Amino acid sequence: MLHTLPGKSIALLLLVTPHIAMAADDVEFQRRVLPILSNHCFPCHGPDAKTREAGLRLDVRESAIKRDRSGNRAIAPGDVGASELVLRVTADDEADRMPPVDGGKPLSPEQIEVLKKWIEQGADYQSHWAFSRPVMPKKPRVQRASWVKNEIDRFVLARLESEGLEPAAEASRETLIRRVSFDLTGLPPTPAEIDAFLSDKSPNAYARVVDHYLDSSAYGEHMARHWLDLARYADSNGYQYDTERQQWVWRDWVIDAYNRNKPFDDFTVEQLAGDLLPDATAQQKLATGFNRNHGITIEGGVIDEEYRTEYVMDRLVTTGAVWMALTIGCARCHDHKYDPISQKEFYQLYAFFNQVPERGANGFAPKERIASPLAAAQQQKRHAEMSRLRAELKKPANVETQLARWTREIARSPAGGWSVLRPEKIKSSGGTRLTRLDDNSILAGGSNPSKDIYEISARTDATKLTGIRLEALMHETLPGGGPGRHSNSNFVLSELELTAVSERDPSKQEAIKFVRAIADYSQAGYEVARAIDGTVANSKGWAVDGPTRKKPATAMFVAAAPFGYEGGTELRFRLRHEANFGTHGMGRPRLSVTTDAPELLQLKGVPSDIREIAVKAKDRRTRAQKERLRDYFLTHHNPNQALQDRISAIEREAAGSFPETMIMQDMSKPRATRVLDRGQYNEPMEVVEPGVPEIFPAMKAESLSESRKSYRNRLDFARWLVDPDHPLTARVAVNRYWQRLFGVGLVKTSEDLGVQGELPSHPALLDWLALEFVRSGWDIKHMHRLLLNSATYRQTSHVGAAAYRRDPENRLLARGPRMRLDAEEVRDAALATSGLLVQRLGGRSVYPYQPKGLWLELNNRPGYSKEYKQGKGDALYRRSLYTFWKRTVPSPMLKTLDAPEREFCTIQRSRTNTPLQALLLLNGPQFVEAARKLGERMMTEGGRAIDERITFGFRLMTGREPGRGELIVFREAYAEELKRYSKDKAAALKLLKVGESPFNAELDAAELAAMTSLARLILNTDEAITKG
Amino acid sequence: MIDPFRESGLLQNRRQFFSRSSTGIGVAALASLLNIEASSAGEMSHSLELGVPHFAPRAKRVIYLLQSGAPSQVDLLDYKPTLEKLHMSELPDSVRDGQRLTGMTAGQKRFPVVKSPWKFQRHGKSGTWISDLLPHMSAVVDDICVVRSMHTEAINHDPAVTFFQSGHQQPGRPSIGAWLSYGLGSETENLPAFVVLLSKNTFNQAQPLYDRLWGSGFLSSRHQGVKFRSQGDPVLYLSDPAAGDRTQRRALLDRLAKLNRLREREIGDPEISTRIAQYEMAYRMQASVPELADISGEPASTFKLYGEEAKRPGTHAANCLLARRLAERGVRFIQVFHRGWDHHSNVRGNLPTLAKQTDQGSAALITDLKQRGMLDDTLVIWGGEFGRTVYAQGNPRSFGRDHHPRCFSIWMAGGGIKGGQTYGETDDFCYNVVNNPVHVHDFHATILHCLGIDHERLTYRFQGRDYRLTDVHGKVVKSILV
Repeated sequence: MLHTLPGKSIALLLLVTPHIAMAADDVEFQRRVLPILSNHCFPCHGPDAKTREAGLRLDVRESAIKRDRSGNRAIAPGDVGASELVLRVTADDEADRMPPVDGGKPLSPEQIEVLKKWIEQGADYQSHWAFSRPVMPKKPRVQRASWVKNEIDRFVLARLESEGLEPAAEASRETLIRRVSFDLTGLPPTPAEIDAFLSDKSPNAYARVVDHYLDSSAYGEHMARHWLDLARYADSNGYQYDTERQQWVWRDWVIDAYNRNKPFDDFTVEQLAGDLLPDATAQQKLATGFNRNHGITIEGGVIDEEYRTEYVMDRLVTTGAVWMALTIGCARCHDHKYDPISQKEFYQLYAFFNQVPERGANGFAPKERIASPLAAAQQQKRHAEMSRLRAELKKPANVETQLARWTREIARSPAGGWSVLRPEKIKSSGGTRLTRLDDNSILAGGSNPSKDIYEISARTDATKLTGIRLEALMHETLPGGGPGRHSNSNFVLSELELTAVSERDPSKQEAIKFVRAIADYSQAGYEVARAIDGTVANSKGWAVDGPTRKKPATAMFVAAAPFGYEGGTELRFRLRHEANFGTHGMGRPRLSVTTDAPELLQLKGVPSDIREIAVKAKDRRTRAQKERLRDYFLTHHNPNQALQDRISAIEREAAGSFPETMIMQDMSKPRATRVLDRGQYNEPMEVVEPGVPEIFPAMKAESLSESRKSYRNRLDFARWLVDPDHPLTARVAVNRYWQRLFGVGLVKTSEDLGVQGELPSHPALLDWLALEFVRSGWDIKHMHRLLLNSATYRQTSHVGAAAYRRDPENRLLARGPRMRLDAEEVRDAALATSGLLVQRLGGRSVYPYQPKGLWLELNNRPGYSKEYKQGKGDALYRRSLYTFWKRTVPSPMLKTLDAPEREFCTIQRSRTNTPLQALLLLNGPQFVEAARKLGERMMTEGGRAIDERITFGFRLMTGREPGRGELIVFREAYAEELKRYSKDKAAALKLLKVGESPFNAELDAAELAAMTSLARLILNTDEAITKG
Repeated sequence: MIDPFRESGLLQNRRQFFSRSSTGIGVAALASLLNIEASSAGEMSHSLELGVPHFAPRAKRVIYLLQSGAPSQVDLLDYKPTLEKLHMSELPDSVRDGQRLTGMTAGQKRFPVVKSPWKFQRHGKSGTWISDLLPHMSAVVDDICVVRSMHTEAINHDPAVTFFQSGHQQPGRPSIGAWLSYGLGSETENLPAFVVLLSKNTFNQAQPLYDRLWGSGFLSSRHQGVKFRSQGDPVLYLSDPAAGDRTQRRALLDRLAKLNRLREREIGDPEISTRIAQYEMAYRMQASVPELADISGEPASTFKLYGEEAKRPGTHAANCLLARRLAERGVRFIQVFHRGWDHHSNVRGNLPTLAKQTDQGSAALITDLKQRGMLDDTLVIWGGEFGRTVYAQGNPRSFGRDHHPRCFSIWMAGGGIKGGQTYGETDDFCYNVVNNPVHVHDFHATILHCLGIDHERLTYRFQGRDYRLTDVHGKVVKSILV
């Protein structure tokens, strides 16, 4: 085209040139001139009116070029010689020179040259880029168009080509899937996922991998984890006592929102002002927990208003940083020194967040009990299950079918069963009248002492007794019919004791130890096991909800070893009623024994006569026998019992499983907001109305409801933030997504897009992404799909040292991202690859391993302190996002790997490389245990040959197979470690016993120890903790 | 330690790596790291700007004995004979002058002045007044400078101690030790630059401590203080729970380095070299830290000096001794936290206990450093986060003392401080400073000055602003310097 139509193309060039030139000037001013003015001049000649010297303002062109009274101009466009500014910055005399000696930093000769050239060229000002809304950039022209996979790449490639650079090759599939998996879920890919990807030859194989992880519920957890840093989420209240809070239900809301791909505008509005939405749902209120995540003090003697002020400040500063990347807090005490935000405007914004009916000390209200949305799914399931059970309950029970089934079961079960004991001697320590009834039960009557021990003696000829049964029967003479003697029909059996005495040689005695107790019913907190826990005084025992239930109950106690003497045994029982509840004796106990094998012992094991009937063929039972069978069944079995039990269990589960969560609320009568002099709570000045800074687009009046036209609230503010015209919100969000994936944002200072922030490395790309975000309906998954599918993201990071030297931070994007995993990812990866990870969404925070004493050594004040109570079982292996976050003592595992304290909003974590991290990964029990479990997997799943096992383990951790050189190192390591541990079994066991999970005892200890050492080596490689 | 991607204060890293190169860190790693610095012009210029020390330092290191809870100046260091007459009189409003009160005494109707129940005497050549509660300190008065004119704004513990530690009342700023780690780096290969020692607390009303008091705020988290603990591993995760020996660990590290180097050759990321170096430092720490904590080699004279208590881990005396050992080994900033001074009631019963817990160790530390020729370049500081009221909290007979920000006393010694002097003056009521006030910001500026740092030039750019430990305040208290 250029050749055939030269004239036209020149004309086109001419048309285009001014635009390009302007763009270049833009950058010139913003990149080179503004930083000088801002850093060196604005503190005294900038937006802050109070500290402005000589009435001169250099951040506004008008003021900078105006003649002062003596006719001088600070800046005379085009005339360097007439510009006072130049004279002053180059003055020899210290008294005249700017910046003054006692003030700002001196200018370098290069900086002075920049200023001169700029004035010479007309001293054009451009407004700060981030304060104007993004405009759709032109698609840049590129030469290697074939490399471009989507729009992102065009912008990146154009920049590379302008620098004479080429993009790197695409990373290997193993690298890619690991990168994608970590970036979307925070977890490593499984071998199955890797295999599937490696064998998928279709052209959209990669896109499918991205979608697979976007659809995983771990995506929501991972995205939420990042959001928690911004939201300064913690499980403790901060400040000095740092007591526990229950804000995890809000955390669950975030996970759920990401998994549902809630659009970012709704995500924003609900978190900032969900409570003010028309007909706000409980979940929308829950979302507002975002701005209650700040610390709250309970220190004695604090002044309420001082702290309430700090909470409001925190909300505003956090919101400003998270959505606008503005350092709003700088305008708390005076006008902002750099950005055009006045102190008055600061307090206008403050007014939006100043309406909560709260106090400074113990300021936990307002709170509400709201279900976790993750549990809401469970709730729904529960609800459905309940309806089903209730419907079933309404149907008439088919007794005959149930009876037949039960009879068959009885007939099939092994012989034996329970023999009821006939009490010989009965005694009450407290004076209760105990009477033996015909059925060998013992009825209690007469006086009702506060504490009582029933001593019951019976005899048996049986030996090898395996258990005893205690029935708590009803009787009409008991209060409410029983089964207990208390006026509410309850009893509390604090302890059951039994001594077996040989009748042939009474010197032979044995106190029977019970190892297990089960009952068909126990009151919550009064489980039957408490009747054999060895404690009496002040302790609880077995109770059966007498007041509400009024039903018999049966308990069974399994002996540690069979007992009973040849020649007869006297069984001396002691039923102790000594708990803290007086007059709670059993009403009508009955005791039985059995010789059934312990594993066959059935609760309600049937009497032997019943068994005999059941064993008979149906047509051979007499009528009397049939009736006996039926009676027995009906007395002992409520045909609906199973259903009813299930229903009450579900009800118990559903109720009270959620704590009260702090949420936002506005007072019905707005609190007046005043400007605070120097930001001090006790120095209020003039009243201000809620509003937004002038530099930004105004709030749209039409979005306000009629009744509130005159008064704007948080909801208006939230909607203003996500208005497509807002210059910052979308840019800030996509910049943070970029930072997460590539390590550095397109604007490196992701916490500050203001005048003092860095300029974007790819301004057009940032704007394109921001506009695309809004266009897509603020679709977060869509943005991730775009970013991850770009050729830019898919580049290899294996580009050689020279490339790393040329661009250490990878700002030009001539390679793929490579960086150490975040703290949570490092730990989760170890758990996942070792098979220890427990993946369960949401719920209360958990307490994984932690060295002893960390909490109490900082705070051991009685009543205000607590010992770290390490969890058990699953709690040790949940994803790190669920680790209890105590602000004053964060989990050392996470803290060591740069997790913040969450005392305040953190936009960028440090990423350090320290010896303490090496110690943690080498010696932390969580990691040593994970290595052992990984070792077990290598031995049991990895194949037989050592090379196979090495490859299996290495691949689990790194996603790839080891190279030949690496294999040699591992093989040697294994051989040497095996030698060591074969010689020293004690050392092997010591290693295998690290951690709470048991080691696989079927494996040879020395081999497993050696394999564990190998796994420790793998876990500690740079690659294991790095996204490549 | 190197984080080429985030760090602005690279100079210190360069210094670390130059010094480290002589002790066996891979030369290739060193070279590539330095190249990275050189290629990043913006960061270079900042590191040059940092250019610390700004002038010749008097102190190379600091030992700061922080007395959390706020010791009572009127009973320990600020002698007030005038109170003999004023005893039990009502504090005049003119003296209180609108001072806000904590919620604990705001409801009190009377504010009777209570003199100190203990005697004060002059000691040393300097004739410094010291309470009889501090017999050991009395013997070293000629080496210390008592500052009686400290003042602060905060009236509650959390903001006050946060202010002392970070120059700001609310959480979020780097602690003073982190600033020094950032500004001066480490003098040692084997230990962190900033070490924190905690006394085991014995007073059940003691104020808690929090990790942020030695945190790095917005500075790189590598600058945060490392806690040396008196229970379990001195440094978290220092020992192998599987009790592997040193040869086994050496073998593991050699293999690890081999594996990592294979990758580095292929990838080229200098971060891998740094990782190798950090594992080496971890290995060295596994030897250096137990060696440091093992005081069995200390001669009997040490325990005569510090007292038998110094043998019990977690006492103030033991931590003073450890602080000296850390100082000998080149740790830049050592902070001992001792709690229990918050005596809202029964000053008479509680204060002697706390004074006894801290007196001998503190004095011994000064004597010990002096004997070793280290006092000249070690700045030692003793003090709390504010003072206590001269008026009684609660019953004037069994009195307590409430928080008092308007005046309080600390002492400083060594490292450029002129010993044998008392600086600043409070009024007859020990309520207001009347002469030579020293604000917390001034105190910070003075510490930095002793270390060769101009407090206005030790800055870190965060959120578009150049932050300082002293915010926009602070004056060096020149009169107390040598």
